[in-house]
Amino acid sequence: MIYGKLWLVVKPTVGIPLFLGAVAVSSFLVHYMLLTHTTWLPKYYEGGMKKTAAIEAPAETAAAPPTTLVAAAPATK
Amino acid sequence: MAESKSDPNKVWPTGLTEAESEEIHRHVIQGTQIFGFIAVLAHLFAYIYSPWLK
Repeated sequence: MIYGKLWLVVKPTVGIPLFLGAVAVSSFLVHYMLLTHTTWLPKYYEGGMKKTAAIEAPAETAAAPPTTLVAAAPATK
Repeated sequence: MAESKSDPNKVWPTGLTEAESEEIHRHVIQGTQIFGFIAVLAHLFAYIYSPWLK
């Protein structure tokens, strides 16, 4: 395996925690920066946006039947 | 003449032989692959179900 001899010169008790720590710190920083530098991620984590939108903008419904006659069927005898 | 093939029973300064080092490395690589697979899956779900990239 490529680089399989790495652990002959790097102590695993040092190298493995260093590797895992680097992965943990860098991925945490990327996600923390997304949280603090974007607008959509805090909003998404806040939640409840669908419910609020539904309450604030109810579906348009006719309050009364139309008063203007646009067309009518011809009278039949 | 310089030794071209290293002694497989030699204990290196880290306290490991070549076989032990290769064995540890196999586990490190496998762990990285499993972690990567889970991370790809998590990002796929984030892409589908969150406002990310929309």
